[in-house]
Amino acid sequence: MRIENHPILIFDRGKILSFFFNGEVIKGYEGESIAAALHAAGIKVLSHSHELHHPRGLFCAIGNCSSCLMVVDGQPNVRVCVEKLREGMRVETQKGKGCLTQ
Amino acid sequence: MQKTSSIVIIGGGVIGCALAYQLARRGVKDIVVLEKEYLTSGATGRCGAGVRQQWATETNCLLAKESVRMFENMNEELGYSKDIEFKQKGYLLLAYTDDQWNQFKKNVKLQKSLGIPVEMVKPQKAKEIVPHLNIEGLIGATYCGTDGHANPFHVTYAYAEAARKLGVKIETYTEVIGFEVEKGKIKKVKTNRGDIYAPIVVNCAGPHSGEIAKMAGEEIPIYPERHQALVTEPVESIQDPMVISFHHHIYCQQVPHGSFVMGMGDPNEPTSFNQKSSWQFLEEMAQKVVSILPPLKDIRVVRQWAGLYDMSPDANPVIDELASVKGFYTVAGFSGHGFMVAPITGVMVAQLILGEETSLPVHPFGLERFKRGEYLLEHSVV
Repeated sequence: MRIENHPILIFDRGKILSFFFNGEVIKGYEGESIAAALHAAGIKVLSHSHELHHPRGLFCAIGNCSSCLMVVDGQPNVRVCVEKLREGMRVETQKGKGCLTQ
Repeated sequence: MQKTSSIVIIGGGVIGCALAYQLARRGVKDIVVLEKEYLTSGATGRCGAGVRQQWATETNCLLAKESVRMFENMNEELGYSKDIEFKQKGYLLLAYTDDQWNQFKKNVKLQKSLGIPVEMVKPQKAKEIVPHLNIEGLIGATYCGTDGHANPFHVTYAYAEAARKLGVKIETYTEVIGFEVEKGKIKKVKTNRGDIYAPIVVNCAGPHSGEIAKMAGEEIPIYPERHQALVTEPVESIQDPMVISFHHHIYCQQVPHGSFVMGMGDPNEPTSFNQKSSWQFLEEMAQKVVSILPPLKDIRVVRQWAGLYDMSPDANPVIDELASVKGFYTVAGFSGHGFMVAPITGVMVAQLILGEETSLPVHPFGLERFKRGEYLLEHSVV
């Protein structure tokens, strides 16, 4: 779902981009965040809590809360709510706390 | 607040709480701990949490070795309901110059003679211990697998809880504002919440111990010096030992939770009570740690802070009674390694005050050593 009309915000959507979510091709717009594109595609579980592994979705949506940490192009702990979508990027669900690339 | 006591301990850090417990355990009643803010609010709660035995002086090696033995059994000994999180994942000390390497050789010889399981390792072996270590320019390293880290908050609470169970009163938000000395003996402690009579006072005020001693009428050479640290977001465990480079003045460890905790000493830091953190630290720390541990370039910093070391002229503690004020003891000047030697310090000071034979010799830590010029110079400080 995407908001088309908003009383204050203007959505300046660019061209359509393709990216990968856990290997699956998904489309989104240039200029929007990864989280927005995932949400529009119906993907609402972004991460899992460390202790009880409960699903976590969008919460603060401004890069503060760590509820949307995912692996993007191999880099762990990317806050997808504030990371802009790029053509061909690989977005993956993160298992655990994320592994630094050595 | 009570008006009388047998012993007043000034400072609710790990040293003060460990001492309170050790005195109470030996049967002393009416002990009062005064803390001007809350427990661990000073140097203890801001420290790097490392526990190492790899020192350059015999005194420090022995204090640390005995303390490690105590950390190993601390949960049980103190009957602590939680966990002090003592993990023995080792310490890797890096040498980048021939001078350092030669000093390390001497240190290792001393440490081995004292029964500390330390080894000298070549750069390649160091990389096996810490796979993401950049060994460029590294001459060698020393490694001790029984070094490690513990949680300074839990350790302090564990001692405080055990002390309270034995009847010790811990008064937080109670600031010492002066003393009454009579005929060269301590008589009374004045606080912002009233006065307490005490025949014995122990100054465990860390970086503030110089000011406290001054209130009793004597100058002691202990000075505050700012050191800074930061913590990152947690990631999966990749680093077992604490990594220290005296060349870069940094240390870096990964705590059990997955966060990296790292800190840096600035050789040009002036003596002051300034404990604000700075962006300069963040920049320099990041550059140095990434050059040594490159994968950390992708990790985010969650928080940074500063704390005060209680520096003495030879970077070793002062454990002594004031010459002009009988009954007034100083236990401070740990110069950045107080947390790791706190367990045995508590025991030794309790024994000293009660006139028992001390587990390790206390006389090397006397104030007179500075006048005599007998410095216990410790080089292995970040």
